[in-house]
Amino acid sequence: MQELDHAINTIRVRFGSQALTRAAELPPPQPWSSGTPLDHLSGIEGIPRGRLTLLTGSGTCGKLTLALGLLAAATREFAHAVVIDARGGFKQGSSRTHGEASEFVGNFDPWTLLPFDPELRSLTVVRLDPEASGEAATALARAGAGLILLMGEVPEQWLGPLEAGANRSGTVLIGVVDAPGRAFAHASSLSLGFSRAEWIWDRDQLVGLRTIARCLKNRVAPPLGESELVIRYPLGPRLPFEAPVLEVPLHAVELECASAVV
Amino acid sequence: MRICCGLTNHLELAKRPDLYGGPVIVGGWEENVIASSEEASPFGVRPGMPLRHAEHLCPHATFLAPDPDAAAGLRELISSALYDLAPVVEVRADGIAWLDVSGVVRSGTSIREARRRLRTAIGREPRLGLGPGPFSARLAAASSRPGRLVQVEDPRAFLAPLASRELPLDEEQLERLDLLGLRTLGAVAAIGPRELESQLGRAGRHAVLLARGDEPGELTPWRPPQFTCAHRQFEPAVEDREALLFVSRALCDDLASELGLRGAGAKRVRVRLVYEFNQPDERESIVLHPLSSQAELFGLIGPWIKEWQPRAPITELWIELPVLEAAGRRQLRLWSGGDGNSEEVVAALERLQERHGDGVVSKPRPALLSSPLPNQRFDWVS
Repeated sequence: MQELDHAINTIRVRFGSQALTRAAELPPPQPWSSGTPLDHLSGIEGIPRGRLTLLTGSGTCGKLTLALGLLAAATREFAHAVVIDARGGFKQGSSRTHGEASEFVGNFDPWTLLPFDPELRSLTVVRLDPEASGEAATALARAGAGLILLMGEVPEQWLGPLEAGANRSGTVLIGVVDAPGRAFAHASSLSLGFSRAEWIWDRDQLVGLRTIARCLKNRVAPPLGESELVIRYPLGPRLPFEAPVLEVPLHAVELECASAVV
Repeated sequence: MRICCGLTNHLELAKRPDLYGGPVIVGGWEENVIASSEEASPFGVRPGMPLRHAEHLCPHATFLAPDPDAAAGLRELISSALYDLAPVVEVRADGIAWLDVSGVVRSGTSIREARRRLRTAIGREPRLGLGPGPFSARLAAASSRPGRLVQVEDPRAFLAPLASRELPLDEEQLERLDLLGLRTLGAVAAIGPRELESQLGRAGRHAVLLARGDEPGELTPWRPPQFTCAHRQFEPAVEDREALLFVSRALCDDLASELGLRGAGAKRVRVRLVYEFNQPDERESIVLHPLSSQAELFGLIGPWIKEWQPRAPITELWIELPVLEAAGRRQLRLWSGGDGNSEEVVAALERLQERHGDGVVSKPRPALLSSPLPNQRFDWVS
């Protein structure tokens, strides 16, 4: 313990008193309540504003579906929700089939967003190569965009300015990657890892998946355990799709009758 | 227009929650019944009937004299409680609270919060209705159970089976409707507005439009009062200037949060010090631009306190804002997040387009969503 205190003092003497701060001394970040089950995993009942939140996991594990749920909620709530397609491999109008999520992380398609009932007027898609994506994300975070969804990693040199800009404006930063690099993982304040538990089949048809969401890193609250989520894919050729079940029911006021006949 | 209606007791009844559970009748002697509780209804007591008749029907009821001032005070209280939940709020003394939730970002949250606040104010679960206008929303609320919400999607179909006595007409006009055989709103909706106008005048035309679900009426928005103040009493009396500064800062904070909720700013500021023995001292100033934040208010009041030479120990500190004005913002909780930064975000996107080309930034617009060809589903606007 004494050695640890000595090390802390040495770092503070050498790099300044602000170099190390106890987590308890930091002001808690304001949560953005997205209405998804991820709110409970963060420990502050929402996604932290002004901080980077990572959704990670290899293969098809539901991270992109949950990111789309967050994005749709942000389009309804914020004036500007921006997707930064960092891979530049955006295929206009390409559709995603189930089980192909790993290939499509980084390729944003608004078609996949529709089941979450987005407000498309608030949505902007920025397609840039990975080098320029950091600059774009930083500029938008400084300007005060409500939510920025990063479909890929941001170059290391832009992580500091990006975090500072988001911190100042309260922008919600969400990153979706299979496995984050060291710098990207270090910059995140909340990291949630997903791993698929099993597929859900109905009448020989793949209808969804069961996934385990774990809080891998949490700098905004004491880390909580894990949660099991059931993600159901939208089925059927017609619109509107059935709503996916990942949203927390908002109707505490019980709806007695939704039709005209009482 | 999407209107949420919360139906509660008449406010004359709500000011006496201790009498809940028994029959209560409110009305002046030799006058008509103003309000009656649900427990009095089985005895045939209805608002509008002579009080003597009501006494005959339900002699064991508790009779209260009307107190319009107390009811108006309660109405103001409920209105101010609901003010930040919807852009337009109207509360009536007969226990109807309307909120125009069209355009509200999280209308479900607003409705849920309205239910909670009404329950706190009245002491009973309100009935809730959601419809395209005030009339259908009120009838939807009347048909729901306490604490539940009935949503009307097709107002004409919803209204059709209801009795025509629900229309806002006087007794004579309702009797006339009955004589004409128009006993349901569906029957009223089936005839032309001009035909009923020839029978009942302008009210007839209005009634037909209501019965059809066209909702010609609009809400009368409640506006917050144009005066506010905050004060603190000291026991024992205070002589320390630092304590005064501390308290005045806290009072400025309270006033700023209230101004923020109302979207108002103070055009005139008055500070009053009440002494233990002497006459109170006061200082007042008119400001050029309305003050709305704690920093602005304390920036004006702080120097006054610092240079004030009190003549005796101070027992009370009052900060009054007698003249309020719109501060260029209102009902902040209803705004979309980041609205204030919209121009900066658009400018940042434009700068990106200048550097990397127009195609870098695009917004999807639904085109042929049902098309099997993916590239036909959305138009992309740069």
